[in-house]
Amino acid sequence: MTTRETILNRLRSELRRPDLPFPLGNTPPLTSDERMTVTAASGTLWELAERFGAELTALHGTYEIVGTPTEARLALINRLLTWREEERAAYRGPKPQTGQEDQVLGWADEALPVPGIADALADLGIEVIAPAALYSSEERDAVRFIRYGVTGVQAAFAGTGSMLMVAGPKTSRAASLLPLRHIALIPFSRLYPAIEDWLAAERNAGTLTSVLRANANVTLITGPSKSADIEMNLTLGVHGPKFVHAILFEDDVER
Amino acid sequence: MSVDIHAPYKERVDTALHDKHLRIALDRATSRMKTQRADAMAAIDGERLRTQVRKMKSYVLRNLPDLLETLESNLTANGAHVHWAADGEEADRIILDIARQANVQKAVKAKSMTSEEIHLNGVLQQAGIKVVETDLGEYIIQLADEPPSHIIAPVIHKRIEDISQVFQRELDMPPTMDPSAMTGAARQILRREFLSADLGISGCNFAIAETGTICIVTNEGNGRMVSSMPRVYIAVMGIEKLVPTVEDAFLQYQALCRSATGQQCSVYLSMTSGPRRADHPDGPEEFHVVLMDNGRLNMLARGYGEALMCVRCGACLNACPVYREIGGHAYGSTYSGPIGAVISPLLNTDVTDADKLPHASSLCGACRDACPVKIDLPRLLLNERADQVAEGDTAWFDRQAIRAFADTMKSPGRYAAAASFARTGSNLLAGMSGGNITFMPPPFSAWTQSRDFPPFAKKSFRRQWRERQERRKRIGNEGQRSKIED
Repeated sequence: MTTRETILNRLRSELRRPDLPFPLGNTPPLTSDERMTVTAASGTLWELAERFGAELTALHGTYEIVGTPTEARLALINRLLTWREEERAAYRGPKPQTGQEDQVLGWADEALPVPGIADALADLGIEVIAPAALYSSEERDAVRFIRYGVTGVQAAFAGTGSMLMVAGPKTSRAASLLPLRHIALIPFSRLYPAIEDWLAAERNAGTLTSVLRANANVTLITGPSKSADIEMNLTLGVHGPKFVHAILFEDDVER
Repeated sequence: MSVDIHAPYKERVDTALHDKHLRIALDRATSRMKTQRADAMAAIDGERLRTQVRKMKSYVLRNLPDLLETLESNLTANGAHVHWAADGEEADRIILDIARQANVQKAVKAKSMTSEEIHLNGVLQQAGIKVVETDLGEYIIQLADEPPSHIIAPVIHKRIEDISQVFQRELDMPPTMDPSAMTGAARQILRREFLSADLGISGCNFAIAETGTICIVTNEGNGRMVSSMPRVYIAVMGIEKLVPTVEDAFLQYQALCRSATGQQCSVYLSMTSGPRRADHPDGPEEFHVVLMDNGRLNMLARGYGEALMCVRCGACLNACPVYREIGGHAYGSTYSGPIGAVISPLLNTDVTDADKLPHASSLCGACRDACPVKIDLPRLLLNERADQVAEGDTAWFDRQAIRAFADTMKSPGRYAAAASFARTGSNLLAGMSGGNITFMPPPFSAWTQSRDFPPFAKKSFRRQWRERQERRKRIGNEGQRSKIED
C-alpha cells in the first residue's frame, strides 16, 4: 500500500469510529449566507476610493484620486519624476551606474488600465521594460536594478486597502515585487468595498475558481513590504517594495 | 546565555528563567502583540468570526479524506506534483529527491514551521545543498545558529542589541542599533540569493481544496520570492491545513492576520495553483506539494483532533503567562506555548521530556480566549495529563501524595490536624522569608525552587465559618430583642 492509501484509509477508519471525541459527527459546512464580511466598507465609488486611500496611508503607503484616465497618466508621470528627484537627492557622493536608472519595470502597455503610458514616459526619456521572460540570470540582471514598478490591478478592496494581482503573460509578478517603489493604477471599475464583495461577484459570474486555477499565481498586496522581527520595530521594504503609491481614477468601464 | 533545546525540561526552564535579556525581549514583544490582537478583534464582531472559523475548520476535519483527494486532483490538474509523506523522514527524502533531480545547488526558504518540524535544513545541507532562510527573523537566527522561538516571530527572544552583534559578527556590518540599516543589509544579501537560487521552499498556511491552491501569508515578500523566482517551488504542509472553498480561505486568512499581528490583512497573500504557464514571464517551472502526516493522524486517533484545527497564528503564545516567562526554546520543540504543549508530545518529533510539556501551563484559559478557532487548549492539556495518569506514567511521589491527601480528606479530625500543622508551619516559614514562602523542606522544595508559595491563612476557613455563624446567632437574637422592645 502506498503512503497515500495508508493515510487516507486510516483517516477514514478513524473518522468512522463512533467513540472519536472530535470532530463531532454532524458538522455542516459554513454557507455563503452566513459567512461574514470581515472588514466591510460602503459608500459611493469616490467614498470607497477615499477609504482605500485612508487604509493604505495607515500602512505607510500613499495615494491620489483623479477624475479621468488622462489625469491618472499625468499623476503617474509626476510621481515617477518626484521619486527620481528624491532618489538623486538622497545620494551623496558618486552614484554607482547600473544603466537602469531611467527604466521602469512594468506590465505590458496593453495590460495597463491607462493607455499610452509607455509613449508618454518615452518622451521623458524613461523606458518601460515589460519582459517576456525572466528565467535566466542574464534576463534577470537586465532588470534587477530597476527602481520603479508600474502595474494595474485585477481588483482593489477599499475596506483593507488591498490590491489583487493575477499573474499572466503580460502581467509579470516581478513588476510589483522587485522594484523598491511600486505604482498601482486602479480604475474605479475594479474597486470593490470588501474582499468578500469581489468573491461574491466572481462566484455569481461562475469565474471565481478559474481566476485562481488558470493563472498559476494570484497575490493579494496590502501596503508596502514590512517586518517587525527586530524587537517589534517596524521596518519597511524588507524584500518587496518600500514605497507603494496607488492612483485611483474614475473610468467609464462597465463592471 | 541561550537555552539548549535538547537539555532536560527542568534545565531548559531554569536557564530561561534566569536569562534577564530573554525576559526583557519577551516582555517587549508579547505584550505588544497581545494588545494588537485584542484591538483587531474588538474592531469587528470577533466572536462571530471565531465561531465561523471554528465551524469551517470542524467541517474540514470531519471531511478531511475527501477534501485531501479533491485538493490532490485539482493540484494535479493544475500541473503540480503531489507527494504523500507518512513522517518527517519520508518528507525529507521526497524533497531531497526533487532537489537532486532538478540539480539544485541552492534553496531559498520562506518561514515554515513544518520544515522546522522535520529538520529539513540539516538534511539538505548534508546533501551539499546550500539553504538560505529568507524571513528576516529566520535569517537572523540562521546566522546565529539557533532554532525559532515563536510561531510567527522567530527571533522574539533576542533584543536589538543581540541582533546587532549577530550582524557584526556574521556579516561584518558596522555596529548599529538602527533596525532599518540591518534590514537594508539583509535585503541586499537576500536579493542576490532569491535571484540565483534554483529551489524555493515554503510551508503552507492553508490550501484551497476546490481550486488546488497553496496559500502563504507573509509581510516581507519572501513568500512571493520563493514561490516566484526559483525554477522549482516546493510547499510542504501538514495534512490538516485545508479549507474547502476560496471564500473559506479568505475568512481564515483574515482571522489569522488579526489574531497573529492585529493586521486586517498581511502585506502579502501568495496563492499558487500550479507552475507558470508557458507564456508567463516569471514563476516556477516545477511546483511540488508535499502532504505530510508525521503524527497528525495519531493526534486524531488519540482524541486530540481539536488541535488539528490550529491555524498557527501564535495568539495563544502571546496570551500565555508561562510562555511569557520562559519563551519558546524552553519547550524544546518546534511548536511552543500552549498549542506546542498540546501537540509536541503527540507529533513524531524528538523532543526531550515531551511528556512534561502538558504541565507547562497554569490552565488559566487565556489561550482559549485568544484562539481564533476557540480550541479548548486547557481541556486538551488536562486530558493529556489524565492520559499520563491512566497510563501509570506518574511519579511515585505524586501517587503517594495524592493517596495521603485522599486519606486526610476522608476524616474531619485528620483534616483539622493536618490544616493546623500546615498553618503553623507555613506561617513560620513565611515569617522567615518575609511574606511569601520562598523555600520549603523536601519534598515541598520541588515547588519552591521555581515559585513562591503563599502561607496559609492565619485562621482556617472552618474556624472563620464557625465564628461567623456564632456572630450571626448573636446579632439575630439582639435584633429580635429590639423588635420586641419597639
